[in-house]
Amino acid sequence: MTNDRHTHSPSQGIDPGGNDEAAYRQRARAWLEANLPRQWRGDQVDFTAPSFDACRDWERRLHGAGLAGITWPTEYGGHGLSLREHMIANEEIGRLAGPESVNSFAKEMAGPIMLGIGTEAQKRRFLANILTMQEIWCQGFSEPDAGSDLAGLRTRATRDDNGWRIDGQKIWTSNAHNADWCLLLARTGPAEHKHNSLTLFTVPLRQPGVTIQPIQQITGHSGFNQVFYDGARVPPDGAVGEVNAGWRAAVSVLEIERATNRMYRTNRFENEFNHLLRVCRGDAALRTLLADRHYRQRLAATFADIEVLRRHVRAAVASILRGGGIGGAGSFIKLHWSEAHQRFVELAMELLDQAPVPASPEVAAARRRFEGAYLAARAETIYAGSSQVQLNIIADRVLRLPRER
Amino acid sequence: MEDLAPNEERTAFATAARRAMETCPRADGAAAARHLAETGLLGMLAHEEVGGLGLGLADALPVAEAAGATLLPFPLVEILLAAAELHRILPDAALALVGGEAVASIGWRGRLSAEDTASGWRVTGSLGRVPMAEQARWLIAPVCLPGQETVAGIAVVDLLQARPEAVPDEGLDLERPAATLSFGAPVAAEIHLDNGGAWGRIAAHGALLRAADMLGSAEASFTAASEHVSTRRQFGRLLVANQVLRHMLARDHLALVGARHSLAHAAMQTDAAAPDAETARLVACAVAAEACVHAAENAIQLHGGMGFTWDLPLHRRLRRIRAATALFDAVAARAALAEQVLGQA
Repeated sequence: MTNDRHTHSPSQGIDPGGNDEAAYRQRARAWLEANLPRQWRGDQVDFTAPSFDACRDWERRLHGAGLAGITWPTEYGGHGLSLREHMIANEEIGRLAGPESVNSFAKEMAGPIMLGIGTEAQKRRFLANILTMQEIWCQGFSEPDAGSDLAGLRTRATRDDNGWRIDGQKIWTSNAHNADWCLLLARTGPAEHKHNSLTLFTVPLRQPGVTIQPIQQITGHSGFNQVFYDGARVPPDGAVGEVNAGWRAAVSVLEIERATNRMYRTNRFENEFNHLLRVCRGDAALRTLLADRHYRQRLAATFADIEVLRRHVRAAVASILRGGGIGGAGSFIKLHWSEAHQRFVELAMELLDQAPVPASPEVAAARRRFEGAYLAARAETIYAGSSQVQLNIIADRVLRLPRER
Repeated sequence: MEDLAPNEERTAFATAARRAMETCPRADGAAAARHLAETGLLGMLAHEEVGGLGLGLADALPVAEAAGATLLPFPLVEILLAAAELHRILPDAALALVGGEAVASIGWRGRLSAEDTASGWRVTGSLGRVPMAEQARWLIAPVCLPGQETVAGIAVVDLLQARPEAVPDEGLDLERPAATLSFGAPVAAEIHLDNGGAWGRIAAHGALLRAADMLGSAEASFTAASEHVSTRRQFGRLLVANQVLRHMLARDHLALVGARHSLAHAAMQTDAAAPDAETARLVACAVAAEACVHAAENAIQLHGGMGFTWDLPLHRRLRRIRAATALFDAVAARAALAEQVLGQA
């Protein structure tokens, strides 16, 4: 962790302007074009993944430019703007396919949960440090015996004279090896109370009672971990929300988050699509495939998939802005995006695999990108609520189909 | 920022339109026209000079959807478009269409050849898939000039005078039977030459309105299927307790929502004459054609053997949707979209 404490005041960021969406978009685009190093953009032939520290610094600058923490209140380091600006800025971030956030859980979930149900002291202590990237967060929800079914969680938090003691094991904890804090869900009452005996805690990860073991993923990388808590300590004020009731409050925050986070996804998808087309057009053998009716149908279907994704995202934003509900938008977006993206990366591999050898640098770079994307996409229909969980949500909460056993 | 949800005004108009459709005479086209004209909906896209409301496609989508939901046995899409196009070419005809005093149809397949003779314009040729041609007084069709292959304009034919040979088409749609019309000998027609501008509009707007009609039908089938599995008991429990059925409905719902958003967006882009309007229309048609067919087919599957009976309207909706996709299915829409996105093959 760096001790770099330079901060940027929001006033240094790009001018949000009035209601002029096009002008705001233009300013966001201009800043990103000028500041995001070319070799960090996924569609460049000399793409090089930035290091963790480089990502951290980049995200700090994004915030300084007014392009992160957009909807968070200014008193907690945010920019106090609406979901409209949040959407536009993220669309522009996705357009350049820059690095994914290394603090996404903090920005998309831990922060919004604290804004929703945290104490004033917690908001002041944690929120600005998330945006300035001084503290990295990870999520401690899933356990080896409880994946999507959080009612079965066993990790226990016990109250004693000095605060809380945490014992148990968490799994799939993305980024724990880089994180300073974990937002942990632990049992604070009888197990038979299921969701009603769970409490959220802010757990400092760099302490003796915490052991982190990386899990190697199918991509070969280790993005997530097993985390063991053996008498780990949390100070007395470390619960977020009410004890035994925090989880229910958090769920309502997360329902909105699911529909509004990752709004860069549509344009990032489009960046990949355009990258594939550009590389195919530039290669004599691949170019002939673009005239093949089979591939034309699938490429057009991908284009339509991306447009439908954009409609789902914008419909959700429009609904929230007009004061309407979120409906099933979070599940629509997640399910549609993850499945459409899987279909696309399969198509990209099929096309690029037909390039002649030796491959040009452009084709080779595209193959690296899409082979990585293909493997990574297997997780997209699993994490953040698998496709089957999303279908259950649509059936139960959107269609309200009766639930009789 | 674009809001795809219909506003209150649109919803209210569509609700009134749907009510009129639910009570519409079902056997007699002339009676249906008079009945529907009372709400003003037949002139919703037409100019105010001919008694129309001068509204846009975004307003017409929920109305076309209601026609699909109620299985309206009437060439609504054709009349909405004809009334909008004819106010300059044949204002009296437009006035009659808006007022429900006449019925029009459109030759969606084929073209007529137009020739300028000493006694005025004459057209010949054949047109396929003309919905409810036997009830129509006016026919609109694309025309080519002698020796040319591109559409030069539209012909407006008075079918009472022209009396073409009409052969019933082998279409699936039970509510709007189509015919093939053949003009063996040259007949008089009103010709409007504009390098295909009016026909391009009719074809593009027609595709969107047809897709909205499909969506209305598909949603009605989907709702029926949801209700059926939510009330029917098998093996001691409700059918809907089976997760596989819940997931089927959830997937169909997601696809229909995507189609609905895409159609609303395409209509707004078209109304605004936005540069990407054509792309948006092709996306909407591709997505809607696929989603609506699947939802209507799955609704039959979810009804089991009852879904295969003549008595339930599920087959009528599937027929109506299939007949609409026969003019422009998902494959054709994606092929046209590929031209836009990838360039010529």
